[in-house]
Formats: sequence, structure tokens, C-alpha cells
Amino acid sequence: MKTKNMKLNRLIILAIAGLPFAFTAFADEGAATNSTEAAEIQALKQEVRELEQKVQALEQRHAAEQQASANTSKEQIQALDQKVRVLERLRENDQDTAATVAKTQPKISLGASGFSFSSADSNFVASLHGLVQVDSRTFRNDNHIQGNDSILLRRARPIFSGTVFHDFDYQFTPEFGNGTPGAASAATTPSIYDAYVNYRYSPAFQIEAGKFKPPVGLEYLQSDSSMFFNERSLATDLIPGRDLGFELHGDIDGGVLSYAIGIFNGVGDGQRNTSNTAFQNNRELDARLFVQPFKVTSITALQNLGIGVGGSWGTSSITNTLGLPNTTGGTLSGFYTDGQQQFFAYNPTNGGVAANGTHWRLSPQAYYYYGPFALLGEYVISDQGVKNSATLKTADLRNTAWDIAGGWVLTGEDATFNGVTPRHPFNPRNGDWGALQLVARYAELDVDKAAFPNFANPAVSASEAHAWAVGLNWYLNKNIRVNTSFSRTTFTGGGGAGTSVPAAVTQHPEDVFFTRVQLSF
Amino acid sequence: MKTFLKILLASTLAISAGAKEIKLLNVSYDPTRELYQDYNAAFAKYWKAKSGDDVVVNQSHGGSGKQAQSVINGLEADVVTLALAYYIDAIAQQAKVLPADWQKRLPNNSTPYTSTIVFLVRKGNPKNIKDWDDVVKPGVTVVVPNPKSSGGARWAYLAAYAYALETFGHDDAKAKEFIAKLYKNVPVLDSGARGSTITFAKNGIGDVLLAWENEAHLAIKEFGADKFEIVTPPLSILAEPPVAIVDKTVKRHGTQAVAQAYLDYLYSDEGQEIAAKNFYRPRNAAIAAKYAANFSQLKLVTVDQEFGGWQKAQKTHFADGGVFDQIYAP
Repeated sequence: MKTKNMKLNRLIILAIAGLPFAFTAFADEGAATNSTEAAEIQALKQEVRELEQKVQALEQRHAAEQQASANTSKEQIQALDQKVRVLERLRENDQDTAATVAKTQPKISLGASGFSFSSADSNFVASLHGLVQVDSRTFRNDNHIQGNDSILLRRARPIFSGTVFHDFDYQFTPEFGNGTPGAASAATTPSIYDAYVNYRYSPAFQIEAGKFKPPVGLEYLQSDSSMFFNERSLATDLIPGRDLGFELHGDIDGGVLSYAIGIFNGVGDGQRNTSNTAFQNNRELDARLFVQPFKVTSITALQNLGIGVGGSWGTSSITNTLGLPNTTGGTLSGFYTDGQQQFFAYNPTNGGVAANGTHWRLSPQAYYYYGPFALLGEYVISDQGVKNSATLKTADLRNTAWDIAGGWVLTGEDATFNGVTPRHPFNPRNGDWGALQLVARYAELDVDKAAFPNFANPAVSASEAHAWAVGLNWYLNKNIRVNTSFSRTTFTGGGGAGTSVPAAVTQHPEDVFFTRVQLSF
Repeated sequence: MKTFLKILLASTLAISAGAKEIKLLNVSYDPTRELYQDYNAAFAKYWKAKSGDDVVVNQSHGGSGKQAQSVINGLEADVVTLALAYYIDAIAQQAKVLPADWQKRLPNNSTPYTSTIVFLVRKGNPKNIKDWDDVVKPGVTVVVPNPKSSGGARWAYLAAYAYALETFGHDDAKAKEFIAKLYKNVPVLDSGARGSTITFAKNGIGDVLLAWENEAHLAIKEFGADKFEIVTPPLSILAEPPVAIVDKTVKRHGTQAVAQAYLDYLYSDEGQEIAAKNFYRPRNAAIAAKYAANFSQLKLVTVDQEFGGWQKAQKTHFADGGVFDQIYAP
């Protein structure tokens, strides 16, 4: 287009340049032959030639400038292209470096499951969990036993757990709350609840050593934060509490079969915590087998059906009474109600009672969970050899207990052995209220009648206890839970005069209102 | 006859039952992937015929510096085949998993093949790069890996520095100025040689790649002879990438015999042929002559000659605060 314009401009210039010739030629035909005019024509022609040359030069210069400009633009584009490529590559390298560095960086997580730190390869993990339970107990007709009606810090535990070198797990749990049952135990002594190491060769083969829950009772093995009620049932009175020992255990086929067998120091019935030492030279063998036969099948209705049996066996032949605290019949172990009041003690009118001979336990147990429905139960036999240190009388006392507990999550969430997780955590601004569970339980404990009178005072200790309880559990979210329940325990035997336990307890049925606010993470 | 067949069957079963699978981990530097792919297959065949056992060689590749650090940090390599002896020395000193005199245990200072540093340029060589002088000119973009992490980058650095020393009468100040100009032309420092090849060949960055000779040939093979060409400078460095058994690891794994055989086989005719086919300069003179057309003739200087050995070169140039840190700022 520019070239055409240039040509047109040339023509115009030539035409304009030629105009004088035309005018001169037409104006005076007569003077055309004049040599002066011829000279003028020549001069004009020369001028035109010069003008043409100048125009040509201008055009060439213009073309060269255009070419140079195009080359410069091309170089600039290439340079910019290189810069962009370099930046992209630098970004790729930075991303690769960041990904490599991230692989070696420790991971930190904080959420509903607590705090956790782990190495990049997860071979080392350190976690902090916690359990705090603030309870209130309000008794009716308790003979105004001082300290019964109370607000108490039932459990206050930081739980330190983790893994080292990929296969070694550990847990350390100190207890700062009122961990020891007994209404009169107002003073709390911090104690160690769990302190163990577990080696995981595989899920089916693990070895645990330290202090932990022995593998016997189903209700006792349930986490303290997942129980239906504030306190465990009468059946757990016959189950050994946390003990020191070594255990081989594992889950086979994804937990279809779980087994555990261990050697422990041995603790008496209802002992909730040991003094971290042994009271005798003999050890106790504890074992448990639990089967969930449909766990990995497609029969969803039966996947969470579990049946098992736990047991223990040990012998004692001692003269002191550490194995069966009894003589005072007051604040030490015996059998306790839902309200944690002692209703039975090994406190005969004459002499003290010590463990003597074989002590074995057997506990068939089962649970079933399906959707919002939960059912859990067990039967416990505790056959305890005893000896009266004054009368030297001996006996094998076979105490039995059983319980059955059920729950229904009214808001529809699934009930599990490990609790309920609300689908809609509590947030009233959004109209979300968490999950609500209705629970009920019935339990009985039957003391061997042969215990009376040589090994227990029938006037003060009950020979039977029957307890039922109902409650409502409100799971605000995975970490916060509020319980409220009522429990009534009636007694056979005991009820004699006196203001000290167990007499004061067995004089009337025990009626207790419980509430609890729980934080667990 | 029946008895004979029974014996034969029993023997076969016994041999099959006796044959085992042995695993080796070869921790290597970045550009040797193709070499060891070919070599491992050949060695497995050889070992199976010799012993009846199956050998599976797992490879790990990356910048030599990173690879050495991984072994020091506990990566259980049965053998290490790194870009330069300094890194294996570091493994010996810091991790103490092989003796300090490891390099004497195999021929040619434990270096079964050698290489050098050449220029890979765009087809047509638009920037007319012929020698080291050309790569330091303003307007020339150079791609080379980071000498802090890559053995190949250290060879390239030392090749350029050696040229400068030869050119400027061993004047260190001028050589330092020369190397500073070179790295001023480097826009991207990848962590390993393979990364730099990707930067140059795939991402289209730069006018020249200072590459391992084998890497340059592989780039042309992969991306096309219509895109790149190799320019061999008149002078470069003799790169000697060594190999070594990691004694403590092979003892723990029970793989001492096969690991030794694995490295010995690199010196065999088949091993040398495989090296040559992958554009590494074989030590075997006959095989080197057979593949002479693959390799340009040039003057090769050594680390010992120009820099007094790797320990000195490391201290002077690549340690924290060394010459490289002084002349290069990202």
C-alpha cells in the first residue's frame, strides 16, 4: 500500500512538474521552436530526474528502517520468549525443590483427634490427647453421707502416645482426676494409669509391655471416653483393672479374630489401679479371644457383631491382705455401686481376709452395633480362694455378675464401640445440635453366700446388688459430650445399723442422678 | 529310564528351589539411566548363566551431591556409581560404610569408563559457539547444572576453569573473572545433569548446554539431529566417574559376591561395549577403537594436573565460601 502511494506521489509530482510544459506548449505554439524554451525543458527534465532519485532514495531508506525495526522486534520477542521460558523453568525447579523438601519435613496436625507431630516418613510420631470429665452426683436417700453429693473431676488425663522407629508404639497416661472409685476418697493422688510400649511386627503379632488394661472384661476394655454411662456396671467389679505385665496380642484378618494373652502381676476384683508393684510372687495369666465373624463380609447388618470370652488364672498364698483389701471395710476395694459406693467388703467380724489359693475368672461377652442401635453385655465368674487370718478358715468364693446395656442414637448416627460421631456438630447458628443417644442398662452382682459370715459381715455387706440405669447422652461434636442419667441399685442383705460404709450404703436403695461434661481429643 | 527321569526331575526341582532372587541397589548419578538400563539387563543374564540366581538391580538417579548425601543419611546402596571420586570419598569419611582406599580396589582408579564435557548447541549453531571463549560472550545464554549438587556441573566448571588457566598462563585472578562471566550467562541452575538437558532441549532455554558427552549424544538421539548439534571444544576435562561397593551394606544384605561381580563386569568386553554404545569412553583400547567414530578427538586435562586433585578442588572451588560462591549469586 505504501509502495502504491509512493508511485502515485511520483506521478503527481511528475504531472505537476510537467504542467508548466503543457501550459507553455499550448499557450504559445509559435515559440516552441525557441532554443531558450528547449533549454528550459531540458533543465526541467533534469530536475524531475533528480527528484525521482531522491524519492527512490527515500523509499529505500524507509524500507531499510522498516526491516531494521522488524528485526529488532523479532529479537525482542525472542528475548522475551527466553525470559518467559526461564521463569517457567525456575518455577518448575522451585516446585520440585519444595516437593523434595516437603518429603523431609515433619508433619504437624491438629484437629478433633488431638495434636500430632510426625516425621516425614511417619517412622516417628508423637501425639497428645486428653480426657477431662467433670461429673456431678446427686444422691437420694443416702443417709447424708458426707461427700456423696459432689461435683468432681472424675478424670483429668493428658495422654502421651506415639511411635518410634515405625514399629514401636508407646503410651503414657498420668491421671490427675478422682480416678479411684469411692465417694469418700476426696483427695486425689496423681497416678500413672498407662505406661507401656507395644512392638508391632504385624497387626497379627504384637507384644506389649508395661502397665495397661488386661484382656479380660469387655466393658472395661471400652475406652473411658466411650462408655454409655458415667460409671461401669456391677459386672466390671469382678474384672481386674490396669495391671503391669507382658502381653502377646494381635488382630487377624483385619480384626475378624482378635486374641490376647499375657502375664501380669495380678490384681484383685474391682481394683482400678495398682500401686505399680506386685503384692505377691505369683503371676496371673490373662487371656481373651474375640471374634467378629461377619466383619469383612457384605452382610452389613452383622458386620459389627462380636462375640468372645476373656479370663484369668492365678494363685495366691499370702498372709498379708494386700491382695484383697478388706479389714477396714471402708475406703478400700470391695464391690461398688454405680454411684461408686462400697456395698460389699471382705470384713468379717473376726479376723482379716487374704487371697489364698487359686483365683480364676471367666467372662463370656458380646456386642452388637447396627446403625444407631447398640447392645453390649457380659457375664463374669470370679472364683476366689480366700482365707481368714484369725479363724484360718478357707473357701473358694464364686462371685458372679452380669450386665446388659443398650443404646439408640435418636439423631440417626451410627453407634460404635468407640462412641458416636455427630453428623452435624453443634452449631446453633446453623440449627445444628449434635447427636443424641438414649441409653439403658441392667446389671446384677451376686456374692457367693459362702462368704458370709467368715469372710464378710452379713450385717453390713450386701450379698446381692441389682442396678438399672437410664440416660441421655448428647454428643455436641467429636470432642465434647454431655451425659445425664439416673441409676438405682437395690440390695439383698446388709443394711445393718451404722453410719459407715458399707452398712450406710446398703440400708437403702441407691438412687443417683449423674451428669457429666466431657472433653476428649 | 524311570529312575533317571526321577533323578533329573528331582535335580531340576532342587536347582529351582535353590535359585534365589538377589536385589541390589545401585545409587548413581543423573545421566546414567540409559547406560544402567542396558547394563543391568546384560549383567542379570550373565549372572543367571553363571550362578543360576536372578539379580534385580534397582536404580536411583540424581545429582551426585544429593545421591551421596542420601547414602550418608542411610540409604542402603549396595554399590555407588557417582560422577566423581570426591562424593564417594565423602561417603567413606562421613558414613564409614566403605574404606578410605576404595578407589584402589578396581582398575583405572575404579573408573571403568570416562567422559568429558562438550557443547550442545541449536542446529546451525546460530551463535557460532566454537570454544570456551564463545560461551562467556555477552548475549550467549548457557545452560549448566549447579556444581553444588551435580557432579557433571563440577566437571563443566573445572573444564571451563582449566581452559581459562591454560589461556591466561595459570593466572587465577583472570580465570576467576572468566568463570564469573560464564555463570553470568547462566539463567537456570538445575540440580542435576538430566535437569539441565530438559531445560535446554525440552524447554528450549539457552544457546548452549555444557553437557556430559554421553548426555549430548542422547539428547540428539531423543530430540532429533535436526534440532541440535554437538560442538567439541579443543580442550576439555577428562571426567572419570568412579564405581564402588558399599562394604557395610553388602555385608548386611549378604550381597557381597554379586555386588563385586556387578562392578567387575563393567570392565568386561560386554560391559565396555555397552558403555561405548551409550557414548561413554571405554577403558578397553580395542573397544574404544571400535567406537572411535562416536567420540571426537580433543585435548583432555585431568583434575590432578590442573587442580591438584579433588580434595583441593573441592576446598578451593566448591566448599562454602569457595570460588563458586564468590562468583555466583542467584
